[in-house]
Amino acid sequence: MNTVADRMQMLRQITEVSFMVDDLRLYLDTHPTEKKALDAFGTAMKQRKQLLKDYAAEFEPLTADCVCPETNNRTDFCTRYPGQAHFAWADGPAPWEGGAN
Amino acid sequence: MWIYEKRLQFPVQIKKTCPKTASLIISQYGGPDGELSASMRYLAQRYSMPCKEVGGLLTDIGTEELGHMEIICAIVYQLTKNLTPEQAKTAGFDAYYIDHTAGLWPAAAAGLPFNACEFQSKGDAFADLFEDLAAEQKARTVYENLIRVIDDPDVLEPLRFLRAREVVHFQRFGEALEKTKEIMDSKNFYYFNPEFDKQFVKK
Repeated sequence: MNTVADRMQMLRQITEVSFMVDDLRLYLDTHPTEKKALDAFGTAMKQRKQLLKDYAAEFEPLTADCVCPETNNRTDFCTRYPGQAHFAWADGPAPWEGGAN
Repeated sequence: MWIYEKRLQFPVQIKKTCPKTASLIISQYGGPDGELSASMRYLAQRYSMPCKEVGGLLTDIGTEELGHMEIICAIVYQLTKNLTPEQAKTAGFDAYYIDHTAGLWPAAAAGLPFNACEFQSKGDAFADLFEDLAAEQKARTVYENLIRVIDDPDVLEPLRFLRAREVVHFQRFGEALEKTKEIMDSKNFYYFNPEFDKQFVKK
């Protein structure tokens, strides 16, 4: 298993589905009853929540809601506390570092 | 309130240091049509909007602009993080380097610091929404100017994404303008200030 490649792939999926959520949110702000957009929003949001949860189990949590010392960052990716229960919010690279270090 | 998510809205992975490019792109951080100006404009204007949905849209677009500010800062940061003393002398970055080294500071490409006078919060829904429409068009122009003069594909990709978002926001603000018209009683929408002359707003 290649942790770095797997992480980048999962992060990309999160970025894609989250962008759908971002764009549909603005669209629904001005078209709040449009069925097709409502359905697409529901589907994308469901996928996003699952991906964020799965990602936080493997790597660093991306939102405070995903922080859980017992289950976060199973792969000990980019952490100062491998093999030890800790506050994983600080694990992983800073977002502005490009996610590759 | 706001919640931080530890990722960029669009990935930035720049391999090549280029202080000259950074000195141009920084304008979309602290320049007159930059993302800081955009987010502060929308997040300031939303409170007094007479149409609740428009206040909500300003919150959501203002929030996205904060994310765009982060993308711009990430681009400038990555373009300068491995700066050598020799590269610090690059024309267009040398003056910035003297005051800020390779730290992030909101300024326009021409060196003017960020200033709240670059945007308005007029307390008039129509005046503000027309400013917002213009702001999105002006920001699109800046992204197009940047895309014309920059060659690095790693830099161009996020810039193209950000340009496309300006177009989408313009569209949404156009719809917000129509929604505000709908709650006005008068046939002449632009004769009154719907935020102050409340008697002309439909109950």
